[in-house]
Amino acid sequence: MTKFAFGAAMALGAGTLGAATSQAEPLKIGIIESLSGSQTSTGRLYARAVKYGVDRINAAGGFNGEPVQVTEYDNAGGASEAADKFRQAVADGINIIIQGASSAIAGQLTEDVRKHNLRNPGKEMIFMNLGGEAMELTGDKCQFYHFRFTTTAPMRITALVNAMKKSDALGSKAYAINQNYSWGKDVQAAVEAAASEGGYEVVGEVLHDVNKIQDFAPFVARIKSAEPDTVFTGNWSNDLLLLMKATGDAGLDVTFATTFLDQPGNIANAGQTALGHYIANNYDNAATPTNEFPEAYKAATGAYPIFVEGHSTFALGQLQEALSTLDFKGGDINVTDIAMALENSVYQSPLGPISVRKEDHQTIRPVVVSKVVKGAKYPADGTDMGFETVEVIPGEKAIYPVQDNCQMKRPNA
Amino acid sequence: MEFAIISTLNGVTYGLLLFMVSAGLTLIFGMMGVLNFAHASFYMLGAYVAYAVSSIFGFWTGILVAPIVVGLVGMAVERFLLPRVHAHGHAHELLLTFGLALIIEELIKLFFGDFPVNYQMPEALRFSAFEIFGTGYPFYRMFIGAVAVIMFTVLWLLLTRTRTGIVVRAAERLPQMAEALGHNIPIVFMFVFGTGAALAGLAGAVAGAFYPTNPNMGIELGVIVFVVVVVGGLGSLKGSLVASLLIGLFSSFAVGLDWSIASMFDVVGLGDWARSVGGLLTLELSSVSATIPFALMLIVLLVRPAGLMGERN
Repeated sequence: MTKFAFGAAMALGAGTLGAATSQAEPLKIGIIESLSGSQTSTGRLYARAVKYGVDRINAAGGFNGEPVQVTEYDNAGGASEAADKFRQAVADGINIIIQGASSAIAGQLTEDVRKHNLRNPGKEMIFMNLGGEAMELTGDKCQFYHFRFTTTAPMRITALVNAMKKSDALGSKAYAINQNYSWGKDVQAAVEAAASEGGYEVVGEVLHDVNKIQDFAPFVARIKSAEPDTVFTGNWSNDLLLLMKATGDAGLDVTFATTFLDQPGNIANAGQTALGHYIANNYDNAATPTNEFPEAYKAATGAYPIFVEGHSTFALGQLQEALSTLDFKGGDINVTDIAMALENSVYQSPLGPISVRKEDHQTIRPVVVSKVVKGAKYPADGTDMGFETVEVIPGEKAIYPVQDNCQMKRPNA
Repeated sequence: MEFAIISTLNGVTYGLLLFMVSAGLTLIFGMMGVLNFAHASFYMLGAYVAYAVSSIFGFWTGILVAPIVVGLVGMAVERFLLPRVHAHGHAHELLLTFGLALIIEELIKLFFGDFPVNYQMPEALRFSAFEIFGTGYPFYRMFIGAVAVIMFTVLWLLLTRTRTGIVVRAAERLPQMAEALGHNIPIVFMFVFGTGAALAGLAGAVAGAFYPTNPNMGIELGVIVFVVVVVGGLGSLKGSLVASLLIGLFSSFAVGLDWSIASMFDVVGLGDWARSVGGLLTLELSSVSATIPFALMLIVLLVRPAGLMGERN
């Protein structure tokens, strides 16, 4: 575990000031993220974006008269380690915990937070979920103190279907290949559900083990025999890269509709094979009307925001928005009030407004659909290729109905 | 027919890749009795060295340099690390190499970053070897297979037909006798370990250009390589080859088959009932294809604990 006293110099400055008046209580944020193990690359990006967001809150004066503090906890990519680090965070007096790299860990943490809040009234915690897209987090497991600041499978797939249909890239036959766990199944279900709207027929579906397959050639042979126009996949990491490479090697002419093609390294590794494929995600630099946000991010961190960094920064921006409506006058921090403020907050992201749906705490947010092209404005992975925006679907169009099995128990209700 | 031919082709080339990675592991265990947990890390190291070298001196130089560098690293490990724990037995050697694997992985992340690096085959090799049922078959897959076959042949001839092979085998059987006959056993072992590591390095350099080269590639392939060696019989080169091909073919065929327990019930007319029950009964074989090697290992261990071609129990 590493501790980062944020803006140490600022904290010192505030400390000397505060000594004259009274010691205010700082807001404490804990990042429980995959900082070692196989998901390190993603975990690091989340942590970097959160720090950027907190720096901005602190630059604007912090909260409750103190700079916001951030602590990093390494969950090593596992749910049990995450539960361990959650207890550590409780002991450290953390008010808000943040995680993004894994749905499985998000499932563990949201339960941990729910139980903690039941047992410790007055010392509640908020879970800001930046990347766990499993439907159950806003379904069976939905709870008042969990907020999801990312899309879900139906949002991404519906956006893909709409945008691709508009630009005549969809075709009439679709294939779904996904990883055999909650996320992959969610994507598969979403592809089936959008079939009539998109005017295509699902000619084949397959689920496979997660990140265990080294050789996708047999799967490509199977896809080929179904003769689809478009292949939908929620695959990430190696499963996406190997699938695309195997397809390219076999010379199979299909369009991929993906969700994680923007993971760093993908475009460079896939090379020419990646050209012409589609992705739906939360944010892409090329979709911003002005360069303001990407440039500001680059000035602060040394690189343009990539992969999950954009939408994670927006989540912190939304928190800042919520905090600005509150004033505890240097006294005790009431986390339930922060949660209420988050519910009512609207964040003006460069792509459009992001708000929280009160029924299940899913954010209503714009979805970007892009296509891989040569000579893009923001080249990816040091290549000459990158993403070109096809369409930005506004939040109200991208959102899906609240799941029936979400029964949220609100505080004092 | 089309399905059978394509699946066989894919299965054989994948099997040969597995053999290429596991050959060094088998060699080291067969000749020295050391179960080298860091073997897959040597494979990853080979890919990264080849990437670093090839970005300056070209692809083929990378392929040549990678096994040499990794072989030297292997020799250093055998020379300076393993002797210290050798007296304490297999468990300590295993733990040492396990630690080494973790260190190599973190070092790779330190130098090359967390993301996959852009290690690519040269454009000259990126073409279809032949067309089969309207699908191009990538030449590079054939190339990987050819390297594996050459590797097996050379190793096999070296061990059974040359004087060096006799000395190495003698050093494994009766080390003290071989030493009494004037052979420098520690040097022999050092070269055997170095060769095993170099083979992993070569495999990494060749396969890394086809599969993504990333800091997880060692872990991803490491487990399956151990399965190959266990199924084939620890230390048996022929066994490794057979086991690799078996696993390659099984995984390849499993993907194309929509078999589930429910479809077996169809035979007796209970298929619809089984599908309505769902759960495990409707689980398709393709969705668990990566589990098949492990099932194979379980069966082999139950029926023939020494492995398909292993000599000792």
